Amino acid sequence: MEIAVLVKPVPDAETRLRPDASGQELDPEGVKWVAAGYDESAIEQALLLRESAPGTTVRAFSYGPIARAEEVLRSAIALGCDAATSVEAPPGTPPDGLAVARALGLAVARHPASLVLCGKQAGDDESGIVGPAVAELLGLPDFGVAVNVRWEGGIERLSIQRSVEGGLEGVRVTLPALVSLQQAWNDPRTAKLPNILKSRKAPIERIPVADVAAAIAPSASLLARRVAFRLPPPRTGAKMIEYSSPDDAAQKLVRILREEAKVFP
Amino acid sequence: MSGVVVVLERVPGGIASVCGEAAGAARALAGGGPVVGLLVGPGDSTAATELAVDKVLTADGPEFEHPSTAQLGALAAAAADAAPATTILFPGTARGRDGVGRTAIRWGASAATSVTEVTRDESGSLHVRRPVFGGRATEELELPGPRHVLSLKPHAFPLPPARSPPASSEPLAIPDSPKSSRPVEVTGFTPTAGGKGPELGDASIVVSGGRGLRSPENFGLVEELAESLGAAVGASRAVTDAGWRPGSYQVGQTGRAVSPQLYIALGISGAIQHIVGMVSSRVIVAVNSDPHAPIFQVADYGIVGDALQIVPALTREVRKARGL
Ligand SMILES: Cc1cc2nc3c(=O)[nH]c(=O)nc-3n(C[C@H](O)[C@H](O)[C@H](O)COP(=O)(O)OP(=O)(O)OC[C@H]3O[C@@H](n4cnc5c(N)ncnc54)[C@H](O)[C@@H]3O)c2cc1C
Ligand SMILES: Nc1ncnc2c1ncn2[C@@H]1O[C@H](COP(=O)(O)O)[C@@H](O)[C@H]1O
Repeated sequence: MEIAVLVKPVPDAETRLRPDASGQELDPEGVKWVAAGYDESAIEQALLLRESAPGTTVRAFSYGPIARAEEVLRSAIALGCDAATSVEAPPGTPPDGLAVARALGLAVARHPASLVLCGKQAGDDESGIVGPAVAELLGLPDFGVAVNVRWEGGIERLSIQRSVEGGLEGVRVTLPALVSLQQAWNDPRTAKLPNILKSRKAPIERIPVADVAAAIAPSASLLARRVAFRLPPPRTGAKMIEYSSPDDAAQKLVRILREEAKVFP
Repeated sequence: MSGVVVVLERVPGGIASVCGEAAGAARALAGGGPVVGLLVGPGDSTAATELAVDKVLTADGPEFEHPSTAQLGALAAAAADAAPATTILFPGTARGRDGVGRTAIRWGASAATSVTEVTRDESGSLHVRRPVFGGRATEELELPGPRHVLSLKPHAFPLPPARSPPASSEPLAIPDSPKSSRPVEVTGFTPTAGGKGPELGDASIVVSGGRGLRSPENFGLVEELAESLGAAVGASRAVTDAGWRPGSYQVGQTGRAVSPQLYIALGISGAIQHIVGMVSSRVIVAVNSDPHAPIFQVADYGIVGDALQIVPALTREVRKARGL
């Protein structure tokens, strides 16, 4: 039984966002690249499933500039993944989910897995395009916004809970399939120091960049080009409402919401 | 002419409100071409035909009651070919958004999700704007034509008035489905605990309370104000961690991200982990007893005062203003 986990390198939460000189990209200066938050849930879920299905191996895949991809793959190995494959982004490829999906689709197809796990959306572009696109390329059904994934009577089927509008939907899934994770119910584990040290020397398979470029080619004319990366104008602080009593404050606020902000229902 | 297909999602008692918004946005994009709704699943189609669309195509077989992403993608592509249309809009719901990447691959289109602005240029490319990094930044993308698959960010586009007379509806010619297109095998559904009023992620107004409410009983004041406004109820993590309300209420980095028209924060300090979940709301109002609370930095309007007094007064005033 093979489980594939897709792990995207994203700037860590402390990153001070600012555009680079071109105004088109995030300035990468000083950025620490870490696994996207929901991808940590996906890793955790893969490791939990492995614990209850002996003989299962978990392989992590990451696409991007090679140093970034291999940094997050090492953290995935430190957490307990058995193997890792880095998929080098051909230089100059636009940061589009369809390109990423084709590249990852190629890599996963070389290690056929019964279950592909990924994040619902990555904390940087928050697109949610890559998972379902990979599923389409691999001919797998996909199930989104899962918060809990369990084996159901053996390793052919899963029962998952999905956090959809209005509540939790229970779904039965026959493998092979792709499942994208929202927040996992269990907090993801943290890596132990000896495992972090060991992961630095762990082998990482590399997919040759020429193969990657060929896999992306069918989507080449469809890729989105980013023309601007902007920060919102700084909020200048609230307009404070002066009032003489709670009722006065309430009347003033309702008038403002109605006449000035025009958001009163 | 560049028609648009709007994929419609059924919710109990009608069609998700974000589909109505998408129909309005589609009109501007279609440039005189048809705007066609695609209604998937068995059931009544009246609500769909009252949206601002020219026609509704239906796929109402029992095999589409719980459509998989692959089924939705195949049906959307077939509807676009029938319309004819060069753009497919999926609703900005969890299930809708999953359709975007899949359909773009299948139909040979460029793709973007959570779009807040969209225009078409002479070459047929779309120019879109969308939030990234939890609303802390935005990006502008050029999506090459001729085909596009998008989802829109909820509430970024106005809801057009209902259509009368209703649009006509007819069955879509169903394409052969690939093996990956089995329906989803749904085994159960548990509504979100305490789910009165609209759903947090879909509401155009959210009223949230924090530790400043002082007790789980007082948190009822937040819920009363929300009810008077027809709003969803949210909470800070201090509230959900303390068990005053379930975790499904939590707004923020480790909870839900919301971007309503109006967000009202009551007794919430404005920690960064809370801010990232609500900062992209259009108008933000804060009530806090501490004039230096960080929430006032991101709010548009602030009231310094005791929430336990201000909130009931506000509820009374809202009820009066709305004739409730
Ligand atoms: C990894 C991590 C993730 C987190 N994720 C989230 C998240 O997703 N969402 C989230 O909300 N938090 C999150 N937090 C917690 C966050 O840091 C704050 O602790 C939390 O948001 C504080 O909640 P609060 O504002 O209700 O409470 P407090 O910080 O205690 O603030 C209470 C506020 O109420 C005001 N107040 C007191 N009495 C009154 C009164 N009578 N009337 C009016 N105002 C009054 C006070 O002035 C104060 O500003 C996270 C923290 C970490 C470390
Ligand atoms: N560069 C990447 N490498 C590996 N996995 C990725 C990459 N980009 C996206 N993914 C996976 O697809 C999910 C959705 O990403 P996105 O479409 O960017 O929001 C992520 O949570 C990852 O699991």
